[in-house]
Amino acid sequence: MTGWLVPLLAGRLVRLAWLLPVAAVGLFALISLAPIDPVQAYVGGRTSQIGPEQRAAIAAVWGLDLPAPERFASWLGQLLRGDLGQSISYNAPVAQVIAARLPASLALIGTAFVASFVLGALLGLVAGATRGQWPDRLIRTVAVVLAASPGFWVAILLVSVFAVGLGWLPSCCAMPPGRLASEVTLAERWHHMVLPVVTLSVVGIAPLVLHTRQSLIAFLDSPAAGHLAAHGASPLRLAFGPGLRHAVGVALTLHLAGAGELFGGSVLAEAVFAWPGLGQATVRAATGADEPLLMGIGLATLIFVFAGNLLADIAARLADPRLRGQA
Amino acid sequence: MIRSLPALALALSLAVPSQADARALVLAIGGEPDGGFDPIMGWGHYGSPLFQSTLLRYDAKLELIGDLATNWELSEDRLVWRLSLRDDAVFSDGRPLTAEDVVFTYNTARTAGGLADLRVLREARAIDATTVELALTEPRITFAARLATLGIVPAGSYGAEYARHPVGSGPFRMVEWREGEQLVVEPNPHWHGGEIAFERVSFVFGSEEAGQALARTGAADLVAVPPSMADRAPPGMEDLHVDSVDNRGLAFPMLPSTGRTTDAGAAIGNDVTADRAIRVAVNQALDRDALVALALDGHGRPAMGPADGLPWDNPEAAIPGNDPAAAMDTLDAAGWTDEDGDGIREKDGLRAAFQLLYPASDSTRQALALGASEQLRGIGIDARPTGGSWDEIGALMHSQVVVLGWGAHDPSEIYFLHHGNYSGVDYYNTGHYANPAVDAHLEAAEAASGVDASLARWKAAAWDGETGFGPRGDAAWAWMVNLEHSYWVSECLDLGALQVHPHGHGFPITHDLASWRWTCE
Repeated sequence: MTGWLVPLLAGRLVRLAWLLPVAAVGLFALISLAPIDPVQAYVGGRTSQIGPEQRAAIAAVWGLDLPAPERFASWLGQLLRGDLGQSISYNAPVAQVIAARLPASLALIGTAFVASFVLGALLGLVAGATRGQWPDRLIRTVAVVLAASPGFWVAILLVSVFAVGLGWLPSCCAMPPGRLASEVTLAERWHHMVLPVVTLSVVGIAPLVLHTRQSLIAFLDSPAAGHLAAHGASPLRLAFGPGLRHAVGVALTLHLAGAGELFGGSVLAEAVFAWPGLGQATVRAATGADEPLLMGIGLATLIFVFAGNLLADIAARLADPRLRGQA
Repeated sequence: MIRSLPALALALSLAVPSQADARALVLAIGGEPDGGFDPIMGWGHYGSPLFQSTLLRYDAKLELIGDLATNWELSEDRLVWRLSLRDDAVFSDGRPLTAEDVVFTYNTARTAGGLADLRVLREARAIDATTVELALTEPRITFAARLATLGIVPAGSYGAEYARHPVGSGPFRMVEWREGEQLVVEPNPHWHGGEIAFERVSFVFGSEEAGQALARTGAADLVAVPPSMADRAPPGMEDLHVDSVDNRGLAFPMLPSTGRTTDAGAAIGNDVTADRAIRVAVNQALDRDALVALALDGHGRPAMGPADGLPWDNPEAAIPGNDPAAAMDTLDAAGWTDEDGDGIREKDGLRAAFQLLYPASDSTRQALALGASEQLRGIGIDARPTGGSWDEIGALMHSQVVVLGWGAHDPSEIYFLHHGNYSGVDYYNTGHYANPAVDAHLEAAEAASGVDASLARWKAAAWDGETGFGPRGDAAWAWMVNLEHSYWVSECLDLGALQVHPHGHGFPITHDLASWRWTCE
């Protein structure tokens, strides 16, 4: 059973060991090349209150007056001591900024991840089983339209219909305004999660539907399925019986490998719905050229996506034994 | 059993009713300080400092009145502020506020490298428990603005956690701050300033659209809205327009082009705008009311100077606008005539043409640039609107005209924009303007014996009867408009007298939050 797992994990760890430094150097180079003056971004609208001497003092205190290689070296030195550095935008340690926002983002991403997998695989199976009939055509049309719709547009559409037009769902925030977290019920929290989660899951659902449908069709066309059908099994029964394993293995691989896109999509969904997660902090860090925070978020995302891909490979091998021979 | 737990949690969560009974005041006006509520790092610039109190404060007319300080005076040599403190100020944790806390706050902020500029402070020292002295390195009357913005923190408990768990002697204390989402405060029972009409105040952050959606559902009592939404308050709310000095104007390059460049390689000077006649003609020609209608949907007022309506503004320095005939006379007299009949004037073979730079991301400035260009074409000046990023503008702003915006509650801005020492420094004096007489007035203002005494000097820098930076003098700028800041406010909320707003829409309206009142039952 675990004969394939150990070599897989070892290989991936080696890959991570060279990927992390390369990504760190590349990311830092990109940030330092960005045409944003971090001191000006920090001062922002207060230009007339902060004289040139104070600007020099700000640069000195935050180490912004050093050349990029020296800034990188000092960041790396801190990292090796387990310190992600200090965020100038938030005036707080990077680890604290990330830790305060990660739970909200993970709740959003996690729920959207599960919801889109269940919904996408289900629709794909139904479409595959009813190939050429109206449910298939309808599902495919919806999938293609969704694949062609930008996420922010879907979000705005959902807000204008369900929040502003019908007034069924809140348009913003993770909790109702004017109340303390301790006064907000779980039901209200879920209520506030609906639109962001739907936005986030709908955007990535199209490829899942189409791939599931395709792999189910491949199974249904196979001699094995033909044999079962000859014995009286209906396509729907085949789809949710023996076909499930064929189709879901592919769907799971695809879905886990796409976890990174979900992370990117959450930046957008958080901006539209004022969701207090990492997305907002990412935007703030990028527009403020906040190097330590961007590096921290970048590396956290990298590990997140890397873990997603690794889980995808493990899950695929569990679902489909034929893959286990491959590294 | 394990399986039924989620179902049980669901049932409980649906069954427990909300506990909020008193209705909170809910504001959606932005202004969340990402870095937290630490005055030493720059919190409390405009608007209410909420948690802290300051030595002095501005009233609705922008005159300085006491808050923690009961008496304040500047020494004969203008280097030492001596302030007496009230003895009944108490921090929200119950400990009394003494001179030691003031001294700690000022000395710490001086070297902290945050957004409170106290470079001119030499030292703060306590004389006794209720008297402090703030010694400066040189006479600087605008230091008074710091006395009104720097909130006092407790020396005993200030630390790394302060920004997110502030303790102060201000009107409110923090109940909960969910970053990026909402700040909830309640009245500080130890506050020395009187009763507050709200049991709780919530500041909802997030997008403008989210704030408007809250207002439409009746969940917010005050919302900052953009000009396009300014006259569309939902039922139960009123439109509120507040005058501001959030201004936009044209900064002229003042020097002729001689091939000089800045250290970064940007060209300096422009032969067309170096001619005073061109700058005066632009000031005379601009129809500022039309610009307000065009670019601001009517939500603004014409700008005649950098500080319209503030105590240090000098209306005498302005010249009448919307007068193309006078502008054309000015140009004719200076030798700018249209000889080749293309509609644009020339002088000695030089076309009256320059670029009008604006940040492409700012639609208001774009509209202003386009409108001004159209109006100037009428008097034979070719001002070509050119959108770009701030980077591109930075490379061109010393040799071309640029749309800039200012408007602080602090006359040091007047100094930065017009003093020769700030030529080409950051965005201050982009035109390299330098007039020794103006510099002398500005320096005299900073060295004045008091805030009131400095006002006449600031005004003289704009126009002293012979010269000045204003349009009657050197016309270093052509100011165009002051924005109006728009809000939707609940019909039941009385905000009292409001200040002229500074550059910055939203949070500055909270300046007198502690004295707001409900007017309905």
